[in-house]
Amino acid sequence: MGPTAAPREVHDLEHERFLEEVHSFEFWFHSVEGYLSGTTFGHNPAVVDDTPGAEADRQRLITVLSNYCLGEMAALEGASGLIAIAPNQLTKIFLSTQVADEGRHLEVLLHRMRELGVAAPAAEAERRASRGLKQFRTELLKLVQGRDWEAAIFAQNVILESLEFAVFKAHAEVADPVTKQVLEGVIKDERRHIGFGENELGRRLRGAPHIRTRLARVREELDHLVIGMLEDTSREIGVEPARQTELARSYRQCVERLGFA
Amino acid sequence: MTDPLEDAGEPATTERRRFILDDTGFDEVPPRYRKFYRKWRGPGDRLGPNEAICPVCKVVIRSSRELRPGDRLYCMPCMSRLVVVQTADGTLEAQVSY
Repeated sequence: MGPTAAPREVHDLEHERFLEEVHSFEFWFHSVEGYLSGTTFGHNPAVVDDTPGAEADRQRLITVLSNYCLGEMAALEGASGLIAIAPNQLTKIFLSTQVADEGRHLEVLLHRMRELGVAAPAAEAERRASRGLKQFRTELLKLVQGRDWEAAIFAQNVILESLEFAVFKAHAEVADPVTKQVLEGVIKDERRHIGFGENELGRRLRGAPHIRTRLARVREELDHLVIGMLEDTSREIGVEPARQTELARSYRQCVERLGFA
Repeated sequence: MTDPLEDAGEPATTERRRFILDDTGFDEVPPRYRKFYRKWRGPGDRLGPNEAICPVCKVVIRSSRELRPGDRLYCMPCMSRLVVVQTADGTLEAQVSY
């Protein structure tokens, strides 16, 4: 089979070969090319910008985007710092692609705020972002600086990314066309990030179950911050209470699969 | 979605049905892998006998073979290895295998 030929059955790959493939820069490049090619700042330039007409709605959207920007900034700083302590070449290369993704997310979200009339979006995002999210960012960076690979991956790629994945999906369902396209592109990137975190930790927990106690403590310290943000953001984007419960469940499913009920 | 290959004469109970996978427009993996995945289209959607939902990222994973308990599947969009299991009600589902 040549390098670009379609495999007869991808599920027959040896696990090591599969991991090598999906962690590679090559895989990332040809994946993002599929959904970002032809877009400008994360959306099709031909899409009509049907932003909220009412000032209160516009302000609500700016506040929500501010929180997203701060979350992406935290993930950008976290992922870039984690490269230095990543345990092997595959995880270092994967994290380099995650850094590129997070940088893009931050850029397109700041650009969206500018389109909504915010003159200095970075400063505005910092000003509007929730206290809980700022605290989460501080705690995440402490874990990275403390070179605690498992705890930092748990905080960033499991807790933060799972929350973002759930919230962005809910928001994309009700967003204006431009914000929707921006979020849909981000969600496609987030699939890789949540999967990387869950699988990396799942393998490590299997080999070293003693780290479970440490991760349970990290969850206890950080969980309420992201759940608070989930509730605040859901309210701002107009998610019904029943759907809010579903979002929280979707977030919790991941940590439960890892054995943190 | 999926087109069963003609397999006249094969006993369906022992031989697995085979499927030709077509590209459904799933664009989150490199082109050569796209036919193995599709988007879940919501409550009205139905899984084929060669399909399972990834519990991690909710993408539909497709195989060229009818699925059986114990089969291994890979979800490339979220980098997960999965194993097909039979649930209490007799249906098949994919579970993460770290």
